Amino acid sequence: MPGRHRKPSPLKAPETAYLALGLEGSANKLGAGVIKHDTDGSTSVLSNIRHTYITPPGEGFLPRDTAQHHRDWALTVVQDAINKAAVSMNDLDCICYTKGPGMGAPLQSVALVARTLALLFNKPLVGVNHCVGHIEMGREITGAQNPVVLYVSGGNTQVIAYSRQCYRIFGETLDIAVGNCLDRFARVINISNDPSPGYNIEQKAKKGKRLVPLPYTTKGMDVSLSGILTSIEAYTVDARYRPRGDYDIDSGDIITPADLCFSLQETVFAMLVEITERAMAHIGSKEVLIVGGVGCNERLQEMMGLMAQERDGQVFATDERFCIDNGIMIAQAGLLSYRMGHITPLPDSTCTQRFRTDEVHVAWRP
Amino acid sequence: MEPLSSTSVSSTRELLKRSILISQGAEAAIYKAYLENPSSRDGFGVFAKTNERECDDSVLLKYRFQKQYRHPSLDGSLTRARIAGEARALMRCLRSGVKVPGIRMVDAAEGVLGIEWIDGMSVRKLLPGGSEPEDDEVNEGDEFDSSNDDQEDVGTEDPLAAYGVSRDHLMDLIGTEIAKMHLADIIHGDLTTSNMMLRRNTNDLLLIDFGLSYHSSLVEDKAVDLYVLERAFSSTHPESEPLFASVLSAYEKRVGKQWISLKKRLDDVRLRGRKRSMVG
Repeated sequence: MPGRHRKPSPLKAPETAYLALGLEGSANKLGAGVIKHDTDGSTSVLSNIRHTYITPPGEGFLPRDTAQHHRDWALTVVQDAINKAAVSMNDLDCICYTKGPGMGAPLQSVALVARTLALLFNKPLVGVNHCVGHIEMGREITGAQNPVVLYVSGGNTQVIAYSRQCYRIFGETLDIAVGNCLDRFARVINISNDPSPGYNIEQKAKKGKRLVPLPYTTKGMDVSLSGILTSIEAYTVDARYRPRGDYDIDSGDIITPADLCFSLQETVFAMLVEITERAMAHIGSKEVLIVGGVGCNERLQEMMGLMAQERDGQVFATDERFCIDNGIMIAQAGLLSYRMGHITPLPDSTCTQRFRTDEVHVAWRP
Repeated sequence: MEPLSSTSVSSTRELLKRSILISQGAEAAIYKAYLENPSSRDGFGVFAKTNERECDDSVLLKYRFQKQYRHPSLDGSLTRARIAGEARALMRCLRSGVKVPGIRMVDAAEGVLGIEWIDGMSVRKLLPGGSEPEDDEVNEGDEFDSSNDDQEDVGTEDPLAAYGVSRDHLMDLIGTEIAKMHLADIIHGDLTTSNMMLRRNTNDLLLIDFGLSYHSSLVEDKAVDLYVLERAFSSTHPESEPLFASVLSAYEKRVGKQWISLKKRLDDVRLRGRKRSMVG
């Protein structure tokens, strides 16, 4: 904020370099990464390995199968991360894992891996809030100082701003998350889940021409998305709908899957940009940071950019390496709290499906 | 003065051009303009006289400019619907005796709504926490805030004292006005302390900014409306949570027996909505 004195950071410069391993598996991505905080205050990503559980088109990922996937791949992914970083397990200062929020079974299988590694190598554990991981990684990569954060992913849709050592939630979805809305629509029209349903919708939307009317449901700084999903699904049983997307010569009045993808993106993203703008106006901030899996959608970034331009502001976004769930963000947030003296004792190293962003004490920020 | 041309530029655009920009919110730009006597030549009775200071017929223009990020047809239909909806809600409030600014002009196609100019201050600035620049909530985003220039004369003292209204009485006024609005089945949709104003001299409490309002008789919608205000209170005025309780008790008094079901639903809403723990 202009004209405000910046308080000194409570985080002391490290006397020796810190290394942390981060393990993430709250949804269908299993990630491991090693981060280094150097004595000069710089941060470097030594490795960032991810393996995604991809289901056939028309199917979502179920907790049990996803957990199985994580168990099958855990050793490979962790080994890769350590090898790529060219460090030894013994060099690590702490092992960070996602405590929540997320799907129960996948969280548990990754927490189990973290606990085992911690005991094997006698390293402290640090439980990390997944959302805070996203925010901290976004801040680190983009260099945004004190942005309004739009956190959009398969499980979360929140507008967040930092205040008094807490990431406060200003607006959020009242029902389903935006990524969930996109994923479920992808299932309805049988779009591939490889590499991700959202990516494929984004590509298809580029060919869309027609904007079909959909509900536009912003409520203050909140949004509601489930009704939009219902109404866009209704278009797929409309007489004008052509599932194969062929424009026949005699009838111009048709709706293609590309049109629906286009309309869904335009409507939903406009709502998200609108609530973000409201939050920015409310707080008086000119920076906005987009994090989470949906955050790598370039159309969303473009729309946010236009909004920020109108307000003389700036958008910060990252690419899929850091937007989509990854281990390195868990390592980053975990290492920050470890440096503030926070560790998770073994008996408390549980995980939880419900863990709100504003429950975390952000000790490392002024 | 030349009669306004109706060919290329609409009279609304002309009016905007000659108005003074007061603030630029997220939704709309706010202008101050002056209405002239209808007996003047232009036939509309509306144009700006920037050289004349403070006449009684000053109006506030709310201009919903085009949003570049939004698809043009989506933006156009949203703007038209919001302007018309806002005017409709204000009309309904006026008819039911809810204190809101009077309507002066509506041009849905251009996205302009002209309403009565209120001389006063927003409740947000009258309460602790609402006007401190050190706080995270900075005032610049306030849409509809016509009280920027009044800040100086109040100084560091309690701004409420200048109005001769006690804090409890102000909460009473808020609760009563919201209750009257809900009894008329109008849902505000964005109840915050910045969307309420205390008029100078008469000490009327007015509800403003009906941009997100709609018509509904459902208990659910009214409960959500109250919940939005509760959240606004706790986030904008951190140490003033008991204040909201007195708003509610004034509200309760006014709505009468509807309160039982409303209270129950409000408790329900508190358990979900924003406070709900998210999965994933």
